[in-house]
This record gives sequence, C-alpha cells and structure tokens, in this order.
Amino acid sequence: MSKLLSVGYWVFFSFILLFIALPMVVVLAASVSPTSHVTFEFWTWTLEWFGKLWTSKWLDPFILSAKIAAIVAVISGVLATLGAYAVAYEKCPGHDAIMSFLLSPLAVPQIVKGVAIVLFLSSAGLFRYLGTPGLIAGHIILTVPFAVRMIATSMYNFDKNLDRAARILGASWWQRIRYVLLPLIKPGIFSGMTFAFIISFNNVPLSLFLVRPGQSTLPITVINYFEYSLDPILAAVNVASLLFILAVIFLFERIGGFTVQIHGGSK
Amino acid sequence: MRLGGTMPSLRGYVPLIPPVTILMMFFALPMGMMIGLSFQDGDTGSFSLTSYERFFTDDLALDGFFRTIVMSGLVAVCVTVMSYPIAYFLARSTSRWRAVVFALAIAPELAGVVLRTYGWLIILEDQGFVNDLVIQLGLIDRPLPLSHNMFGVVVGLTHVLLPFGILSLLTNIQGIDPNLEKSAQILGASRLSVLRHIILPLSVPGIVSSLLIAFTLAASAYATPALLGGIKFSVLATMIYQQVLFYINWPYAAVMANVLLVIVLAIAFTGARLESRLNSKLHVR
Repeated sequence: MSKLLSVGYWVFFSFILLFIALPMVVVLAASVSPTSHVTFEFWTWTLEWFGKLWTSKWLDPFILSAKIAAIVAVISGVLATLGAYAVAYEKCPGHDAIMSFLLSPLAVPQIVKGVAIVLFLSSAGLFRYLGTPGLIAGHIILTVPFAVRMIATSMYNFDKNLDRAARILGASWWQRIRYVLLPLIKPGIFSGMTFAFIISFNNVPLSLFLVRPGQSTLPITVINYFEYSLDPILAAVNVASLLFILAVIFLFERIGGFTVQIHGGSK
Repeated sequence: MRLGGTMPSLRGYVPLIPPVTILMMFFALPMGMMIGLSFQDGDTGSFSLTSYERFFTDDLALDGFFRTIVMSGLVAVCVTVMSYPIAYFLARSTSRWRAVVFALAIAPELAGVVLRTYGWLIILEDQGFVNDLVIQLGLIDRPLPLSHNMFGVVVGLTHVLLPFGILSLLTNIQGIDPNLEKSAQILGASRLSVLRHIILPLSVPGIVSSLLIAFTLAASAYATPALLGGIKFSVLATMIYQQVLFYINWPYAAVMANVLLVIVLAIAFTGARLESRLNSKLHVR
C-alpha cells in the first residue's frame, strides 16, 4: 500500500514536471522545425524562421517593447527607491498606510487598470498620449509596487548602525546616502528594475488597451498575428524574445550583483 | 539629517512626492473616474444604474460572468493540486535535483504568457501535437476537442499560474516543523496517515492562499482565455476588451470592470481573513 502510494506520488510528480516543461519544449522545437508541423527529427531542424525575423514587421515592435521596458525599469526604479526610502528607511509617520497605498495597484486586476487608464486618457482629451507615453505610464503603475516591495525589503534589512557610524565619522547626509545606503541596497534596486523590465516587456493585459496602430508592442503584435495562423515564425519570435529576456537578466545581474531568486509575487 | 528647516517632520515626506503623484494621476484618479462612469447615464451624464441593470439582465453578460467563476474555480483547484507535490518536494528535499526542480517550477514566469499560450495552442489544436500523435497511433480517427473550449483554457491558465501556487504552498510547508513528521513516523504512523493527519491539516493556510491567488489571477487573465478559448469563449476579461475597443461602450465596460474588481477584492478580503483565522488557530495548538 505504502509502496503503491510512493510510486503514485512519483508518477504524478513527473507528470507535473512534464506538464510544466512541455509547452516550452514544443515552442523551441517549433521554432526550428522546417514546416508548421512540429518535428523532433533534429537532423531536419533549420534556423530559417529566425532569419525571417529581420524585417521591420517584427523588429519595430521588438525595439518599441525594449525601449518601453528600459524606460519603465529606470523610472520605476527611481520612484520605488524614493518611496521605499521614505517608508521603509526613514519610517515617516503613517508609513504603514503610505506603503499600502504604494502597493494598492496590486489589488486591482490588470485589465481593470487598463480600462481605467484608457478611459482616463480618452475622456481627459489626452487621446494623443495613447501609444508610447500611455504604455509607459500604464506599465509604471504596474511595476512600481513590485519594485517598492523588493527595494523596501533590502532597506528593512539595512543595518542602521552603519549609518550611525558614518554620521559619527562626520559624513554628511548626502555622503551617507551615496556611499553607505545606496551601495548596500543596490542589489534590491537592480532586482526591482529587472522585474519591472520583464513585466513590462511581456505585458499583455494593459498594453492591449494602450497600443495604437504603428506603435504596438511585441506581445500584442504576436497575439494579433495568432488569429491568422500558427506560423512557425511566431515560435521563432517567442524564442528570440525569451533569449532577449534571459540576456537582460544576465546583464542586470552582472551590474547589480543580485543573486537571482526571482520570486513570483502577485500580478 | 535635520539640516535646519522649521518643519523637520515634513522633510521625511519629500521623497514620496514623485511616486505618490504618479500613482495618484495614473492609478487613483483613473480608477475613480472609471467607477464614477459606471454610475452614469450614457447620454445625459446624470447618475443612473442603467448600465448595471443592463449587465444583470443581459444573458450573454451573465453567461460570461458565470463562465469566469467556473473557469477560475477549476483553475484554482488544478493549480493547487498540481502545486502541492512540487512545493512539498522543494520544502523537504535535500537532493541535488532540488535546484533543478525549483528552476523548472519558476522559469516559465520569465517566458511570458504569450509564449506559453502559443505552446499550448500547438499542442492542443485539432492538427496539433497531441491529436497528431493519437491519430497516428490509430487510437481515434477524429481530433479530440482539446482547444477552443474550457478544457484548453483551464490547461493554459493552470500552466501560467502554477508558479504562484507553488510559491505560496512552499512558504507554508517550509514553516511546518519537519520533526512532527519524523516523530509520527517513529511512532509507527504510515506515510499516508502522516500526510492525512499532520501535513495536510497544517498546510491548510497554504492551500487556501494558493486557491485564492490562482482564482483571482485566473478571473482577471485575458490572453489565455482569448487565445485558447476561441471566439465563442467569453469571460469578463474578454468582454471588457470588446466593450472598450469594438463597441466603444465605456459605461458598460466600466460596469464589467467593476464587477470583476468586486469579485477579486471580495475574494482577496475574505481570503485574508480566513487565512489569519486559520493561522491563529494553528498556532494556539
């Protein structure tokens, strides 16, 4: 009985791991299969679909997405550091309530935030800000709470005695920020920014409302193309953008020095 | 720190000005406007409940509403059931495979929802991977309806949300003292009864939080139901999108968005209360 249970557990366990890996493996195989028929006969595999990505049809949305994600990562990094500084480091009066406000966008579904922002821009006569500026504003709302949470955690862990020591040794306020606090919370800031970059780059529910013709992000372009066919070029686009994300994480990790343990958090 | 200044206490709030302004402008204000708009008459702009009345008498809208609930419920259960063994393994294993399983469990988050949905489409389509295989093996002669229906959407969403379930169960199970299991085993309890009488009861808070987070995220997902569900599969998220971009009926879109918001907030709120009650109960023992 016990043995049966144990076998059952491992079978179920392997099934789940297979379930998790399967779609990724299939997309990888699809991106190198010669036809739209996915094949695992690796001797027929080809990179021709990746070659076809070098057209403005795919490059333009990719560049726009990367640009928006970079801007969003930097702005939300700055905003979140400021917010976390006041709330988690200085612990200004009412910091709990302010923290809840900074995290409040997390409680609202993305699609609801998207509707709210598009209605706001439209009815305030700011229609022309749909597209890139709207996308940046929307994504910032989405990413700031995550970044605040990550940076605040590293501020909570900061040993205040270091600050005291620097003060006794005569460091000014700015010197203490610049040479004591910032270097120590740098990993937190960079993991917050990396997270912001990934969320923005992959985002669908908000971007859906904010893109406009000629200014469409990569995931939205891919989704719109879905409706026509399951062209293997889509698999190539997806694999390429995953590789890009991995490269960005690697780069940020190099600069920021956070040891990656990307946690999910809620969307 | 206090470099003079007559109101030192206000200085602490200065860094908050940029983030709070941005959140006010692009979050609080738009949310307020959207909620206000849902209570407005489309033509005159005066207060009215007509849009809500329309929603709760519109068969198609109600159909989408209930489909959202059923879909999210199914996804919540699937996510939790499938997360549990993985989370338990991650919490207790000391083998070198632990890191591999952890990476595999969390990595899909990096890939984004579009890649994963695309993968499932290739797998589940009529001419897809699974149907190809099963037909070639001669088990059936017509493709199984695996996509463009509830089944496909639940599979896709379960895959997207598994990391959330795994992480919330992992935190919980890591908090359970492994000595409890060991002592029960030493006292002669079978694996099954350790599971039933010790681990499962103690991980109820983790199970609840996994169910809740999966439910709320499933209810607000757009891409997976839209792509794997097909045109006829409407849930609140897809209906909201259509109202904004095709019918351009903003008050009605605002009503649907508010209904979704209320569902999500209500579940998050009752969930948080339930969780804290469960936790305090467990710690009293």
